[in-house]
Amino acid sequence: MDRTILEISNLTKKYKGELGQKDYLALEDLSLQINQGEVFAFLGPNGAGKSTTIKLITRLLHPTRGNVFILGKSNKTPDAMKHLGYMPEQPALYGHLTGREFLLYMAHLYGLSFKKKDTRIDTLISTVGLSHRADHAIRGYSRGMVQRLALAQALIHNPDLLILDEPMASLDPIGRKDFRDLILNLKEQGKTIFFSSHILNDAEMIADRIGILNQGHLVSINAMQELVGNEAPVEITFQTDQATVDSMGLSNKVCARQDANYMIRVNPNEAQEVLQTVANRCRIISVIPQRMTLEDVFMAKIGEGR
Amino acid sequence: MRVFTIALNTFRETIRNRILLNILMFAVGLILLSLVVGEWSMENQAKVIKDFGLSAMSIFGLLIAIFIGIRLMVQELEQRTIYILASKPIHRWQIIIGKYVGLALTLAVNVLLMTLTLGFTNIFMEGSIDWGMLPAIGLIYVEILLIVAFSLFFSTLMSPTLASMATLAVFVIGHITDFLREYVALYPDKGLHWLFRFIYRVMPNLENLNLKMAVVGHIPQPPHAFEYGLLYGLAYIGVILLLSVLTFNRKDFK
Repeated sequence: MDRTILEISNLTKKYKGELGQKDYLALEDLSLQINQGEVFAFLGPNGAGKSTTIKLITRLLHPTRGNVFILGKSNKTPDAMKHLGYMPEQPALYGHLTGREFLLYMAHLYGLSFKKKDTRIDTLISTVGLSHRADHAIRGYSRGMVQRLALAQALIHNPDLLILDEPMASLDPIGRKDFRDLILNLKEQGKTIFFSSHILNDAEMIADRIGILNQGHLVSINAMQELVGNEAPVEITFQTDQATVDSMGLSNKVCARQDANYMIRVNPNEAQEVLQTVANRCRIISVIPQRMTLEDVFMAKIGEGR
Repeated sequence: MRVFTIALNTFRETIRNRILLNILMFAVGLILLSLVVGEWSMENQAKVIKDFGLSAMSIFGLLIAIFIGIRLMVQELEQRTIYILASKPIHRWQIIIGKYVGLALTLAVNVLLMTLTLGFTNIFMEGSIDWGMLPAIGLIYVEILLIVAFSLFFSTLMSPTLASMATLAVFVIGHITDFLREYVALYPDKGLHWLFRFIYRVMPNLENLNLKMAVVGHIPQPPHAFEYGLLYGLAYIGVILLLSVLTFNRKDFK
């Protein structure tokens, strides 16, 4: 059985309205479990409640209701937080420190032993590609470098669970690829990664499971394969004439036509039957199962919720 | 241990701060300027220099406490470095106490530098150091620590501008509470006497930490004035830090 590393139960966050304003329900009754070793992408449009969820997990916000458990321990105890590494969205670090000093500060906060610290810091600096700037003040770093250093601090204590809030939002394409590779590498090492994103391509490439959040509610939670593998239509191209297409009752499924070539798109559950009918009466040119993208699924799920 | 780690980072952050350096340079310059002011004075030169120097320490200590104390916490909250810090396996009280200890260390270094400068003017004028000034300097430091505790408390609650004004108000009111008490005693039924009475009871009486006049003018002090001031100041600091921890514990970092 998979070991649950993060358990969220009935998590709700209501923000008190400022003077004269109504209260705002940012997250309602969120329950989910994340298993060890999986990469979980938390998706949703702006304002869906992704960052609120992450801040509740990392104790930056107090829940109105509900609980968070990390490896069975409530996140209210600092002890539970030892298993967690967190990188905030657009992280801000201490500009007066150098990259190395900053990591040393973080290592002290985790209570790493004196011996472990130096080796760990050197390894991480090299892993995130900051060796050439490690002894420069952070205030001179580019946004990408800050992002990489923020990831290094999240990994400093070799945590079981990584929580990353929009980790790729401010990176250029090369930076994003490096980041994806790094996450996959961490997954290979057995780390569990929970990240929020609105960049669906990235999520599609690295996530094992996807949770879609909209307006503070969990709309769906599925394995990536389930999401993009199911319900994918099949495109069948064949040669015939309009009368035959009409007689087979397929005119409403035609999505393209060129001369005597007709292309129809059918649902996977009816594909077998339609294919047989077409094969009996026409010459089939191609049968191509389409692959739904995460974007298609995302738009559909968000659309359902509206 | 974690408190010490946070304190050390706070100390490093503040001493690398240019504003602090500028205020400190100005304070040291002003204490040295007391030599010139003493020259012009009709009164006892050494007395004027000590008076001027101790007052400069008090005022600049206050400025440093307000600027650095408020800026430090506000920066942490506004620049969102608090996300990194508060998500670590630490208690929130450790953040407040760690920051406070770091600030106290920075202020100790500042007071020490100003004391050395004052000592130098002392030697220059009188050929020796007046060790009798030390209790007054000690209580100036306690007063600054109390003010910085207030600045930390206010900065967890309100905007930097409001927090600065509130801290400054504590300093001003703290020095006139005796006057408020006397006013209420003289005119018990007049105007805002209830407000004055409330302020007198709630606000610290910073005159309890003021030995400047007694030390400089060699006026006899009440017995155990230093010990009383020290205990009074430390007790107040404890209460304000406790309030800061309580408000910080309830805070949401949005």
